[in-house]
Amino acid sequence: MSRLNQKKGRIIFHIDMNCFYASVEMAYNPELKGKPLAIAGNPEERKGIVVTSSYEARAKGIKTTMNLWQARKLCPELIVMRPNFERYRTASREIFKMLSEVTPLVQPVSIDEGYMDVTNCHEQGNTLDIAKNLQNKILEKLDLPCSIGIAPNKFLAKMASDMKKPLGITILRKRELHQILWPLLVGEMYGVGEKTAEKLNAIEVNTIGDLAKKDVYQLKQVLGINGERLNNRANGIDDRPVDPDAVNDFKSIGSSQTLAYDTTDDTEILKVMEHLGANVERRMKRKNAAGMTVQLMIRFHDRRTITRSRKLQTFIDTKEDILHVANELLQKHWNLEPIRLLGITVQDVAEKQTISQQLDLFTYEKTASKEKLYKTVDSLTEKFGKNIFKTLNENDNKDLIQPTTSFQKDFLDDFKR
Amino acid sequence: MKFVIQRDQLIKSVQDVMKAISSRTVIPILTGMKIEAKQHGITLTGSDSDISIESHIPAEEDGKVNVEQIEEGTIVLQAKYFPDIIRKLPEKTVEIESDENLKITIRSGKAEFNLNGQDAEEYPQLPMLQTDESFEIPTDLLKSLIKQTVFAISTMETRPILTGVNIKLADNKLSFTATDSHRLASREIPVKEANIEFQSIVVPGKSLNELNKILDDTEETVEISVTSNQILFRTKHLNFLSRLLDGNYPETSRLIPEQSKTTLHVKTKELLSTIDRASLLAKEERNNVVRLATKDDSNVEITSNSPEVGTVAEDVTIQSMEGEELKISFSSKYMIDALKAIEYDDVKVDFTGAMRPFIIRPAEDDSILQLILPVRTY
Repeated sequence: MSRLNQKKGRIIFHIDMNCFYASVEMAYNPELKGKPLAIAGNPEERKGIVVTSSYEARAKGIKTTMNLWQARKLCPELIVMRPNFERYRTASREIFKMLSEVTPLVQPVSIDEGYMDVTNCHEQGNTLDIAKNLQNKILEKLDLPCSIGIAPNKFLAKMASDMKKPLGITILRKRELHQILWPLLVGEMYGVGEKTAEKLNAIEVNTIGDLAKKDVYQLKQVLGINGERLNNRANGIDDRPVDPDAVNDFKSIGSSQTLAYDTTDDTEILKVMEHLGANVERRMKRKNAAGMTVQLMIRFHDRRTITRSRKLQTFIDTKEDILHVANELLQKHWNLEPIRLLGITVQDVAEKQTISQQLDLFTYEKTASKEKLYKTVDSLTEKFGKNIFKTLNENDNKDLIQPTTSFQKDFLDDFKR
Repeated sequence: MKFVIQRDQLIKSVQDVMKAISSRTVIPILTGMKIEAKQHGITLTGSDSDISIESHIPAEEDGKVNVEQIEEGTIVLQAKYFPDIIRKLPEKTVEIESDENLKITIRSGKAEFNLNGQDAEEYPQLPMLQTDESFEIPTDLLKSLIKQTVFAISTMETRPILTGVNIKLADNKLSFTATDSHRLASREIPVKEANIEFQSIVVPGKSLNELNKILDDTEETVEISVTSNQILFRTKHLNFLSRLLDGNYPETSRLIPEQSKTTLHVKTKELLSTIDRASLLAKEERNNVVRLATKDDSNVEITSNSPEVGTVAEDVTIQSMEGEELKISFSSKYMIDALKAIEYDDVKVDFTGAMRPFIIRPAEDDSILQLILPVRTY
């Protein structure tokens, strides 16, 4: 019953940290404040692209994913730093801790944003005060600015948090939709990318208002089921609950790397594959997961990108197994043109708890030799409940300082622990 | 070359030979079918260099005339169009003629097709096998040997040798064994008057599947001969030649447990249909897992569950149970395959523990063995 009531008039926050990586660096080193700062993958090499930048840098036209040399041209006094993921992780963990002090209904979306359902938090004061207190607390304790969007659902909250930066608090009410949201271009709507925007423009949908008023049938013709979804969102309808467990729903785990220069050199390429395989294995270990499909992504010198995947009959989680399949895919699908980027992703990923292992005729003795141990574990589990045993993982802490630029969601596991 | 042939006979032969012809092949002429006319009859040949099939249509058989007006000669025609043309021709007989310019004319009733052929000289010679070293078994028995084992081969290319069926002939016993390393199927039969022996050859599963499709279910015999890299199956009108897989087949006999800790006797059909029902909730990505638990002397329980969908439980009546209590999880698919292959009403299942392979055999026949590795659930 309480769930039904919630749907009626929910109050959802979307917390969006402002220039997160840059802000964390400034909190660590206040001297950086007020200066144009960019966090970039690898300042020495071409693959260095801007991951985040401070507002001062953005004012000069610097954008995320921009090449470093381009950025330097726009802003010669730019300070460039490598990412310190460990710092961001720690900060993120602290932030989400503060959010969950307000309500347990916190859904982290990425390292620097998340949703909260504060519908049932009235005893903590009125909604706006809760938001203000939270924003102040994060700013005072961590020296980090954030924007908060307040709305009756996740979509509107997300749109709202985007409206005032930095340190904004924006309330978006359903009755204000046609004034605030509808005049915006569809491309600015969350969930509408470049391709979708093009398709929508082609059927004379230019603003979010156009989208809201467009015939659903026609939208479905162009965008499939997503057309109906976007139409709903544009009308301020979004029933998705704030799901604290959504973090654990990972379907794929991957790693990719842009090469320092386009190459056809076998040894070079295999080295990169090796590295990617190790990355993926590490991330799978951290999540205690295994997957059934291996996907290889190759971007060629002319930016043409192909992805090829192979579904296996069993779950795999080791670097050898992943690389075995990935290299096979590379052999089969690489036309020997110069490669710019490689990526390996394991898909159909599940937590090991929920999967089972088909034993193998040639190796079962190894498992069977532990049969007594497993039996004991099983009977104790039956007595005392799940998760009384944990396999110790030596690598648990070693891998924290990994300088990679790819977007990581792994930090969310820390929050959950 | 010229001849007039009964269309039904031709259709059957063409269908058989087409099993060996692939549109993708390294040697372009192998996309074609070779037709050879001799006074005693017509021979069709198809090959993808892994499998080669020759089908012979005798000019006359049991007083019935199949082929007439034969002018000897050979030609290769494009196999892609041939079967459909023959199938759709209007009359009961077909006239096929080729000229020195490699043009082929196919006539039936008022229909006439003119096709471009290729020179048969360019078609690779099929290796002639030394046939005095051979043995014979009834065709229907060969077919069941294949059916009872070939489903267990591996479809993964990671261990190529496991994509074949291991065949042994020693001490007048012929055995077929196949495994994908998760389950194993084998059968052994006695063979009389075999004047050859071979320890271990591996025939591609694909070859055996095609062979099984082509062979009729008769008691007539198949003559089998083997060389170091090929195997030939020969019936009255058919030569089926397959290459063998290179490499050593793993020794499997020592992996098959000899004692048993729990033994069940059960009706094949009852167990099969219960597992089949339970498998409706078993998911492929979770190894199709179902669970078997012994309850008492006359019942075992089969359960399955899928967290998002629901659960199923059903008791199966068993004839008897000996030994320890047991709970074991395994792939329903493997179990269904095995039970279907057994072809007996009563089976005996021998378990040696929840993490060890178990064996299904007909209650009264030790020559058929189906082995399955369990699934370990975390």
